[in-house]
Parts: sequence; C-alpha cells; structure tokens
Amino acid sequence: MSTDEAVELDAPDHRRAGLALRVLLAVLILLVGAGAGLAAGLAIASPDHPADDSPEAGFLRDMAAHHAQAVDMGTIAYAKATNAEVRSMGLDTALTQHGQVNIMQTWLGEWGLNLNGTQPPMAWMPDGQASMQNGLMPGMATQQQMEELRQAQGKQVDILYLTLMRQHHLGGIHMAQEILEMSDNENVTGIAKNIMESQQYEITAMTDLLAQVQAA
Amino acid sequence: MSISSPGPDRVPSTVKVDKTTGQGKPPAGKSGANRPGGTRPAGKGGKGGKGRKPVTPVKVAGSRPWGPILVAGAVVLIAVGIIGWGVVAAMQSDKEKATPWEERANAISGIVNYRNDPDKTLTARDHKTGPLTYKLTPPVGGAHNARWQNCMGDVYNAPVANEHAVHSLEHGAVWVAYKPGLAADQITALESKVKGKPFTMMSPVEGLTENISLQAWGYQLKVATADDPRIDDFIRALSQNATIEPGIPCSGGLTQTGTTPLDG
Repeated sequence: MSTDEAVELDAPDHRRAGLALRVLLAVLILLVGAGAGLAAGLAIASPDHPADDSPEAGFLRDMAAHHAQAVDMGTIAYAKATNAEVRSMGLDTALTQHGQVNIMQTWLGEWGLNLNGTQPPMAWMPDGQASMQNGLMPGMATQQQMEELRQAQGKQVDILYLTLMRQHHLGGIHMAQEILEMSDNENVTGIAKNIMESQQYEITAMTDLLAQVQAA
Repeated sequence: MSISSPGPDRVPSTVKVDKTTGQGKPPAGKSGANRPGGTRPAGKGGKGGKGRKPVTPVKVAGSRPWGPILVAGAVVLIAVGIIGWGVVAAMQSDKEKATPWEERANAISGIVNYRNDPDKTLTARDHKTGPLTYKLTPPVGGAHNARWQNCMGDVYNAPVANEHAVHSLEHGAVWVAYKPGLAADQITALESKVKGKPFTMMSPVEGLTENISLQAWGYQLKVATADDPRIDDFIRALSQNATIEPGIPCSGGLTQTGTTPLDG
C-alpha cells in the first residue's frame, strides 16, 4: 500500500526517469558480472605463467641441463685439483648450480610443465640451433673432454677445469643474455641476471687462477 | 583458492546495491575499472552504495519497490551464473594442461610397467657388492652396486655393468640399450637422442630380444628401429621424472665400460 502511495506521489517524468535508471543499473550489473566472470575465467585459463613452448620454459630446461654439467666438472675439481682455491671454486660452483637446477625445475613444476620439453635444445633462442656445437649447447664440454678432465693428474686437473669451466660460463652467460631480452617473467629474468653477473665475475677469477696455476 | 569466494560474496553485496535503487551507478562503474578477481570490486561497490544512502535523490523513502528488486535479483543471479560458468570452464581447461608423467608413460604403446609387479626383487633398492643376477635383460631395477654409471648423456660404445646401470636408473636415467652389431646409422640416430642430455645414457647390451630396449626405473620399452617415435616419448616422459631420489644428479658416476662391477 505504502509502496503504491510513494510511487503515486512521483510525477510521471520522475517515474520514467526512475525506470530508465533501474534498467541502466540492471544492464550495468549484468555487464560487471559478465566482465568479472570473463576476467576470472581468463585469469585461470591463461595463467600468467609461461607455456610449455615458451622461451622461459625452454631456457629453464636447457639451463638445468647446462648447469648439470657444471656440477659434474665442479665435483671433479673439488676432488682432484691441486690448488686449494680451484678446489674451493669447484665446490662453490657445484653446490650453487645444483641448487639452481632444483630452483629452476621447481618453477617448471609450479607452471604445470614437464621437466623435458618437446623441442630440441636451444630451440627457444633465435638462432639457437646455430649456436649448437657438436650437438651440444654453447660452452658445454664434449664427453671426451669430460673424460680427459676425469683422467687428468696433478695441475693438469686445475688447468683443464679452469679452461673448460670458463668456456662453460661463457656459454651460460650467452643463454642468460638472450632470455633477458625475450622474457619479462621476474623469476626467470632474476636468475638469468644472477647467472650473468656471478659467472662474469667468476670468469675473471678463473682467468687469474689459470695464470697462477700455469706459472706454478 | 579464491575461486569459490566470488559466488557467496557477490550475492549479499549486490543485494545491498539494489536497496538504493537508482544510484548504483558509481559503484558499478568503479568495479568495472578494477582488475581480475571480481570479488573485491563487487564488495566495494556494495559498501559504497550503502555509505551514500543519505544522499539518495530519488524519493523512495520507506517504500519497497518489489519490481526492481526482482529485476535486480534476476540480474544478480545471471551475473553469478556467468562467473561460475567462467571459473568452471577455466578450471577444466587448466586441468587438461599438465598430464602427470606416469600417465604419459603408461600411454606409450608397448611399454611395460614393473613398478607394481608382484615380484618385488625387480625393483628392490638394496646396495650389494659383487656380480648380481637380474631376471630381466636389461634390468629395470633391483639390488645394485653402491656406485652408479655416469648418466650425463654418456654414450658408451661397449657394455657396462648392470650393477652400476641399475643405480643410474634409480637416479632418474633413461638407459638406451641396443644389440651389439646394430647398423651404424641406427646407432648414430640413437646417439643424437642421448648425447649431452643429462639423465640419459646408452650402451650395447648382449642378449636383447629386440634391436633397442629402453629402461627407466621400473619401466621398459622394446622397439625395432631408432626412428620409432616412442623412443622420444619414453625419454620425455621418464628421464629424470622416473627418479626415486628426486634432486639427485647423474654426474659423479663411473665412466668405465666392462660388465664386471667395481666395488669401493
């Protein structure tokens, strides 16, 4: 009853304006609802993490494999090098890079991606295939070079290790530089920057050590 | 996580808006400008509408406009329905993306999974010294030597000891075994799948029933030719994934060939 009275009090113009407002409100709510539904749907359907064939995923997989060889080299140096600084550097590199492999693979897991990609190594990088040497990623030692390092004796261990690892770091830095230009994923660019900077520093240190060991 | 909250949250908040019929415009515009979730903007809009109640320009004081309430209610239901549909559809598409490695492995035709075999010796994990006998050729698990064969994409051109190779499988390696005397081009094709790839290794093995046999811990696949696409499928599904010691490396192993295991 009171409803009717209140409405009756309104002038026809007001009622029409009120109705128009209500329709407008209804349309707006519907649009907001649809928008929110779509936004929520899109946010989950295309999550902000990189896809299986993304440069980020390719980089993490390849860098994990690249790092794995550095762990192999580092542990050999730690066990057999004659220079205490070289041994310590081998331990440092092996532990750091083994840790980073697990960090990178954890991200792949969080993104719901397989540790092994469907594309060949370095396919994520422009001209990546051209950067492969002997079927290996940039800077990687061949199986024969690794065997020479394993079989080496005396200061030859130090010299081989420093030479191979310096080469290995150069390749790693190259890959890190490339992904920095291609990606804006904070995890990936963060670790790429770190790899670039710390390995650059280590290259300087290894060059000094190499001269020292060769002179000894 | 936040997926379930939009529904319940939106209902009360939008109901508040329709109490102040005629001035829902500002909150609605505001929430439209906001980002994803949908939860928060709607909540804010509700509160905003409530706060401005006193300034209501349209005179509906004390009245209950049932028509608009019903319309608004229907609109809210439709909006909630759209959100729900969006979330459910999105969740399903996300689910399809990541297929667990076990599922991918079991989908490979011809693969044999020994992990649930009643014969537990096939996948026993004890360390033992000296030569050991294995029921399968090549073995896919079982007691093994304390030292593992290096499996950093190593290509061995002579047989290696099963006792070390089985330990590599435990670390997540895929072991590509081939019949001695296999054609050179076949060997080269296999090498290209292994060389430089951590968590793989390859060697000739005597007594194979097929030209090529792939092993991962608890899994085996025998194929006739190196261009069989199932080889890549097997490596992709099982290399590293099949490890039962996650995080362990394939480096630091033995690299010598010869079928007599090395103790100590």
